[in-house]
Amino acid sequence: MAARKSTWEKITWTWQPASEREAGDSIVRNFLLHWFPAKVARESLSWGYSFWLGTVSAVLFLILTITGGVLMFLYVPSVERAYLSVKDLEFTVSFGWFLRGLHRIGAHLMVAFVFVHMVRVFLTGAYKNGTATQQNRPLNWVIGVVLLLATLLLSFTGYLLPWDQLAYWAITVGTNIASAAPVVGEAMRFILLGGNTIEQGTLIRFYVLHCFFLPLLVLALFSYHMWRVRKDGGLACVDKQALDQKREKVVPSKSKTYSLLGIASGASVHVETSLVDEVQHTVPSSPTLTRRLALVTMVTLALSSVLTLLFHAPLEAAANPAVTPNPAKAPWYFLWLQELVTITTFTVGGYTINGALIGGIIIPGLLVAAAIAWPYFDKSSVRSVGVWFAPERRKQNLIFLLVVAGILLFTIIGTYLRGPYWNWYWPWQSWPVMPRKF
Amino acid sequence: MKSKQSWLNARISNLRAKTETEQQRLERLKQEVLGEGEAASRPTRRSFLTRLGFGATLLALAGQAYAFLRSLKPNVLYEAPQRFKVGTPDQFGEGGKFLEDKRLFVFRQGKTFYAISASCTHLGCTVKMEKLNQPKKVKTRQREFEEQYEFHCPCHGSKYYGDGTNYAGPAPRPLDYFKLELAAEDGQLIVDMEQKVGQDFRLTV
Repeated sequence: MAARKSTWEKITWTWQPASEREAGDSIVRNFLLHWFPAKVARESLSWGYSFWLGTVSAVLFLILTITGGVLMFLYVPSVERAYLSVKDLEFTVSFGWFLRGLHRIGAHLMVAFVFVHMVRVFLTGAYKNGTATQQNRPLNWVIGVVLLLATLLLSFTGYLLPWDQLAYWAITVGTNIASAAPVVGEAMRFILLGGNTIEQGTLIRFYVLHCFFLPLLVLALFSYHMWRVRKDGGLACVDKQALDQKREKVVPSKSKTYSLLGIASGASVHVETSLVDEVQHTVPSSPTLTRRLALVTMVTLALSSVLTLLFHAPLEAAANPAVTPNPAKAPWYFLWLQELVTITTFTVGGYTINGALIGGIIIPGLLVAAAIAWPYFDKSSVRSVGVWFAPERRKQNLIFLLVVAGILLFTIIGTYLRGPYWNWYWPWQSWPVMPRKF
Repeated sequence: MKSKQSWLNARISNLRAKTETEQQRLERLKQEVLGEGEAASRPTRRSFLTRLGFGATLLALAGQAYAFLRSLKPNVLYEAPQRFKVGTPDQFGEGGKFLEDKRLFVFRQGKTFYAISASCTHLGCTVKMEKLNQPKKVKTRQREFEEQYEFHCPCHGSKYYGDGTNYAGPAPRPLDYFKLELAAEDGQLIVDMEQKVGQDFRLTV
């Protein structure tokens, strides 16, 4: 019966489908849902498997895009006015402090959640292909690594914009690390700064990187990342489920194919319609997946808003090239790098190698290279795909966790045990009061 | 009759096309479209023009890319000069004076002057001059001297003796010394931050 629908029902029916057919239709018709399959495995919706960390990261990126867009109306990327316009945001613009705070907390959370998402994917072996055809999870892992780097770069370029002391000294240290790179280093610093000294050219370059190029990169890669998840047959835990299902000797549902391509990509004329038994293990994406997505979005927004109220965004003194704050500390997620560049200066013979090269370029470079190459050297079996702490991957997971622990340890040292002049202080020792200026 | 004949011809060529293997088809297509393959090692007019077209497109794109990238490297810098006057010698008292906007220490010892950079040789933070509570005997560069002050960097903990020699932390080399001159016209001290000099450099006035 074709019941007459009110306008409201016409707009909302795809979100509240009345039948299986409407549910499938909603995915096809709704632009926002086109990444999703019509049906999704119940297993992949579980809270305990993925913790929805990727989704949270994506929601944070959305929050950052929206707050960032508003901030662009209010911020002036000029050396004379940048600091004052951020001060205005803090003290004169209505709710400016909240906008800036939410943008900042969102950035911190995004770095944390993207990183933890990566840890989750590694520990569940989800960067490996399962048994389905046309999968390329290693490539999606590589895209993920680039997205993590882009997130870090977005943060770095972002905290330079207020042009306060943190900004100025971060840019000094950051671009000096870049210049420590062999051969291209000096030229790279010159291009980044737009000259030899940190001035207007530098600010506008980082501003454009922060507001245009890096978000564009993240948006493009994120879209591809999501599309690949769909092409790879969903989360890796579904591959695990499919394997278990085969063990149970459940007859997979089959459909006939008449196309040459269908025969070529499948094993026989009969091609399985999906990885898992649809009737038993799947539910319509709309409304099951969409409802959870809405919930995760709301919780993420609520969490970041509450954190914004609790932790006020700091603003240091205006940039002053003459005086470096003491101690001069990077934001928490770069403190492990600060510790690395501090402790990695070596003298070989009469020649001293700057810590910037070893701790700032070689070690992080090797870590990124290892992360990118790892899926291609991983020889563990398909049984360990989508399984938390698979026994077969114990050694790999241990190595990965040791690197993560090292990063965390350095971060903790940088946060709590380093005082003025980057000297070591135990928590029970108090820092000496330093003269602010010579 | 005529139409039946042409229909048959079409049918035959269709069947012939079907019996071609993928490899043969690819080869035929290559020959037809690009003029590539074993049979057509001699470029045809079509293949030549195709290559010319693709080549020109690539060249145009490369030119655009070069223009975009080249524009990012500034040709004119509106930066403060690296060689500047800092005042007449009698404006400097005994000991060190920190010139904030230049990130520079200028020292006077009696009639001699020297200038040390305040930029840490590790990653460029501004070092602080720490006056020592009591003078410390130090041996660097095969000589001993009594130092009244040291330079400490707040970013990564590099430490330098009073003469700029690094002795702790990640700094790879001593603080830079810059050349000092006297201006002929008004007798002011000139610092040239583009000319680095040795740690023994002294300007006697």
